[in-house]
Amino acid sequence: MNKTWLIIQREYLTRVRKKTFIIATILFPLLYMALIFGSGYLASKGTKKLRVAIIDSSGLFDKALVSAANSTDSSSYLEYVTGNGASVQANYVSLGYDGFVVIADTAKWDKGLNDVKLITDKTYGLSAVQGVENKLNGIWDKVKSNKLGIDDTKKAIMDNSRINLTGENEKDKTANAAVASGIGYLCGFLIYFILLIYGSQVMMGVMEEKTNRIAEVMVSSIRPFQLMLGKIVGISMVALTQFFLWILFIFIIYNVTKSTGGSNDMISGMLGGVQKVFGSINIPLIIFCFAFYLLGGFFFYSSLYAAIGSAVNEDMREAQSLSLPVTMLVIFSIAMMTTAISDPTGKVAFWASIIPFSSPIVMMARIPFGVPGTVPYWQLALSMGLLVLGFLFTTWFAGKIYRTGILMYGKKPSWKEMTKWAFRKN
Amino acid sequence: MILELKHLKKYYATQKAVDDISFSVERGSIFGLLGPNGAGKTTLLRMITGIFYPDSGEIIFDGKTFNPLKDIEHIGYMPEERGLYKKMKIGEQALYLAQLKGLGKADANRMLKEWFEKLEMESWWNKKVEDLSKGMQQKLQFVTTVLHRPKLVILDEPFSGLDPVNSNVIKDEIFNLAKGGSTIIFSTHRMEQVEEICDHIVLVNKGQKILDGTVKEVKQQFKENLFQVGLNEAPAENTNAIFEVVGRQRDKTLVVKINEGYTSNDVLNHFLQSGRSIHSFNEILPSLNDIFINLVEGTPTARQFQTVTA
Repeated sequence: MNKTWLIIQREYLTRVRKKTFIIATILFPLLYMALIFGSGYLASKGTKKLRVAIIDSSGLFDKALVSAANSTDSSSYLEYVTGNGASVQANYVSLGYDGFVVIADTAKWDKGLNDVKLITDKTYGLSAVQGVENKLNGIWDKVKSNKLGIDDTKKAIMDNSRINLTGENEKDKTANAAVASGIGYLCGFLIYFILLIYGSQVMMGVMEEKTNRIAEVMVSSIRPFQLMLGKIVGISMVALTQFFLWILFIFIIYNVTKSTGGSNDMISGMLGGVQKVFGSINIPLIIFCFAFYLLGGFFFYSSLYAAIGSAVNEDMREAQSLSLPVTMLVIFSIAMMTTAISDPTGKVAFWASIIPFSSPIVMMARIPFGVPGTVPYWQLALSMGLLVLGFLFTTWFAGKIYRTGILMYGKKPSWKEMTKWAFRKN
Repeated sequence: MILELKHLKKYYATQKAVDDISFSVERGSIFGLLGPNGAGKTTLLRMITGIFYPDSGEIIFDGKTFNPLKDIEHIGYMPEERGLYKKMKIGEQALYLAQLKGLGKADANRMLKEWFEKLEMESWWNKKVEDLSKGMQQKLQFVTTVLHRPKLVILDEPFSGLDPVNSNVIKDEIFNLAKGGSTIIFSTHRMEQVEEICDHIVLVNKGQKILDGTVKEVKQQFKENLFQVGLNEAPAENTNAIFEVVGRQRDKTLVVKINEGYTSNDVLNHFLQSGRSIHSFNEILPSLNDIFINLVEGTPTARQFQTVTA
């Protein structure tokens, strides 16, 4: 056991000391956040707040009307421009406008104001343009009311008669489900990335030992199984270190923003949201389960990757084609996870979170919906127990393949051949 | 005896890699394990180092049944397929390998420093393995193999890739180890090295032992009664009752093969009686290389796969 510990130490230290580990630890959350916020940003881009210059040559509009409209409707920002209309038209982008509207000097208040164009240098979504259209119509209404002598009192009476319609879902549980889905996706994808990234690291590590021809030197000092186990445990510790560093980052960032950014509206809004999220889920349970399923899933898959690494020769393509079935299992789990999140108590969710090959990802996506509400204790215990049995089996199976493969050169491996190695006597 | 093998067998699906081999290795000796490619040497060595379990047979190590888990700490094995972690620093790597052999960190460190000094490797400590030439790596591997003072050192082709100077350095260290009480099993194809270094040899071919004895014994066993005689004047006749001339050299030196029933003294008498003066007289013993080629020749050079029924 002492020797396995030496292996674990080496595998851990050589990886953690590498610059790539430090860079990846810092960059990955940033990229991950960029992905999440980026897609959120893109989704909200459809209703972008346009900044539009109103170049009025007719003299029908005025500054007061436009700014009044701005204060009542903030879906876009309009700015009234009279004097140097031509130069604004030419330089609207550098002046900070998204576009401009020209009201021709031929416009008459009692005639229609048709075919006004919003000139922009990009194509904006329909809803953004409609927002500007509505606002312009509001101003145009005001212009006409003024001309007709409809004062504010009369106008207020007209406005009062407006009917407000808002939607309300009687089975309202949106807030909670959204948070749970979010956390579920986050956990599932994190495990998915870690399994694939670190699983292939195990495979590469084993291949390195084989192609460097150090394997035989090593197995004359320790059992092949110890060598394999040491590598897997060492690399799993690297993954776990990375995970806890991320948690630490989040904790630090959260506390720093809380103490410094309290006055800023946006940040305090975000903090409120984060607090709401943290309040609605069981953080310690999720962290515990995450660590458990991360390690369990990692042992389950990385021993298979180790077996593949031991069987192949120097050829990367051999490794890729042999590892494809294993990688497919991981990817398939992600597909199941999507189903499980949309229906966390359904049949697919249940079975996929019990069967060991998909349980690390799928169960981790279900847990944020609530234990024992959505996931009863017995399901969690069964899933965990089966995962432990599962990885004990794959480690045993892989160990048998590994022992033969690591010393076998020049033979083109196949899964059939490898299974033969696993089940033959000593 | 440090090591005794009794009827070891290891069959693979397609061949009998080791088929009933027995021999023993004396403590403190330098033992040569010889054989053509694919003869089963590596499989045999892997069983002795506990990497493989024999299908049947027994290994006695240091008087007791071989226990791979415990006894590998007393064995140093330098396999033919050997390598090092390329990205690791040399000192760190040597320490790591030494600790895996059961040495404490401080001890290992001290012993490594001694060895590095002895083999003029001190400046390597903080370099990476990828910066070393193949020969330098070989030297490092030798050090890591013998650092933990194993009772049994197994070296598979230890000189491949070494220049003559470094070969001699390693050769001297091998002799030193034997003098210090370690036993060395030495596996190679290079017969001139075997003749120079080994006390005892075993030749295996096709998974079976075909020769076993000291270098002297083996040479005696395969001698062809050839003698070299230097004379002041070479006789004209080629055959007589006592011997047959099988070769003549320009400086009046004959190579004679003594016929059965006669001895070297009869040859000397013959020439003395003929009145010629004898400048030199010595026996020609076969080289191990000749014996090896003789014994192995006639068997296919590349081992054929066979069906194993057992």
